Amino acid sequence: MSYADRVPAARLSLPAAALATGVLAWWAVVALLDLPPYLLPTPAAVADRLLVSPDLYLRNAWVTLRTIATGGLAGVLAGFGMAAVVAHSTFLRRALYPYLVTARVLPKVAVAPLLLVYLGTGSGTAVTFVALVAFFPTFVSSAGGLRATPEAHLDLLRSVDAGPVRTFVFVRLPAALPAVFAGLKQSAALAVVGAVVAEWVLTDEGLGYLVLVGAENVQTDVVVAAVVVLFVEGLAVYGAVAAVENWVSW
Amino acid sequence: MVGDEKTEGDSSVGTRTSARGSQEPTGESDTEPKIERRGNRREPAIGGDKPETAIAIDGLTVDFEAVRALRDVDLRVDSGEFVTVIGPSGCGKTTLLRTVGGLQEPTDGRVCVDGESPDSARRRGEFGFVFQQHALLPWKSALENVVFLRRMAGKSADRERARELLGTVGLAGFEESRPAELSGGMAQRVAIARALHLGADVLLMDEPFGELDELTREEMGVEVRRVWRERRKTVLFVTHSVSEAVFLADRCVVMSDAPGEIEGVFDVDLPRPRDESVYGTEAFQEQVAAVRTALHEGYERRRSLDEGP
Repeated sequence: MSYADRVPAARLSLPAAALATGVLAWWAVVALLDLPPYLLPTPAAVADRLLVSPDLYLRNAWVTLRTIATGGLAGVLAGFGMAAVVAHSTFLRRALYPYLVTARVLPKVAVAPLLLVYLGTGSGTAVTFVALVAFFPTFVSSAGGLRATPEAHLDLLRSVDAGPVRTFVFVRLPAALPAVFAGLKQSAALAVVGAVVAEWVLTDEGLGYLVLVGAENVQTDVVVAAVVVLFVEGLAVYGAVAAVENWVSW
Repeated sequence: MVGDEKTEGDSSVGTRTSARGSQEPTGESDTEPKIERRGNRREPAIGGDKPETAIAIDGLTVDFEAVRALRDVDLRVDSGEFVTVIGPSGCGKTTLLRTVGGLQEPTDGRVCVDGESPDSARRRGEFGFVFQQHALLPWKSALENVVFLRRMAGKSADRERARELLGTVGLAGFEESRPAELSGGMAQRVAIARALHLGADVLLMDEPFGELDELTREEMGVEVRRVWRERRKTVLFVTHSVSEAVFLADRCVVMSDAPGEIEGVFDVDLPRPRDESVYGTEAFQEQVAAVRTALHEGYERRRSLDEGP
């Protein structure tokens, strides 16, 4: 039984109270310090922005979400597929694993301009970049999880001659699910970051682009409104992964 | 009872030579009452009601890189026989079991299970393994765990039968429990039910009660004997507990280590069927003492060889 089952009220009311406190504090800071709107807009000003041109934010939110979803999905599928291959091939594991693991420390942001050179601007390049960013956490976690199947389980399946496919589907994969989802959640968070960076460098639409343009024009209310929408979108993406985990995990 | 007939038949065939041959000049087996200690190479069956050989091991040697785990092991296990293997840790008893089960390739020598190689016997679904760790899948219920392995073996699973088997091992009412909710003993019972559900003729058990407390061990021993008697399986059972090795066995194989060799084979003469009361009997104590002596002899000789020239 999870925490949410036992105390449903606390699960919802505590974060809501924290959010309200945060918004009130923000408002209080602006009012008490008498900050000019170009430094920090009030929550009301931001809400006003969102209400005046909802279609602008919705359209760009959709663009960003599409980039996150397609790029993220491609990245984690490739990451998981690669992990499955590497987990089964000693040769590939020995040859590639050190690089694939240390590639985590490479700031992928630095690769974005290269992609710009090779693939040009546009949403395809953005999707590629998000895929690249989302690839590594899922790969590293899944490979670790798939390698960590208890020997006794593998012996058991060998003793009845179950074969590699059944062993993978019915034992290796389910045993690795917690690790796989730990990777997927990291990938989801990074995919959102990746999409914003891609929109800064590679495209001229999406919430990231809106942030960039707003900042250039010192329209902080536009920037903060975009960030709020991005925050909600990031939560939704992460929540979707967590929901799938809840559904399939044991 | 088939077991009784078989043992009598065996003793008439058994030769009273030590497995160590010329290395061991004393004829201590003659001084032990009720115990037959003898070589493990048997005379070929000459007609009669001699049970057929289920497992035949000839000159088996297994190396792990530079380490010799088993050297020149010979053993015959009859169909329907309960044979225990005991020895110090690292004596290769697990390796012996895994080699019989087709999970380990022999370096030299030959293993036959029902006349074929362990590997093809394994592929034919001849073995039910029970490991030291119960190896239950934590995401499946007890019942699903029992059904699951049979399905992995490519056989149609029968939930009703699996339910019955869980009842047989004393777990009625725990069908839907997850492994995390079961005690070590209960989890091992599920593992035994799982092996039985495979319907395999040969049960290979690798210290299945190694992590259980003494009391649970003894209870499980009684139960395994009962299940074995009802289902007429051939059982090869590895243990490091002398009393367990004697209590369970029709024959008890004593091994010495570094490299693993058979030190001696004992015919166990205890009432059948057996229950807990056997543990208190003099006959049981005597046979435990005999097996323990053989274990220590093997151990001492190995150590003196190490120190000697």
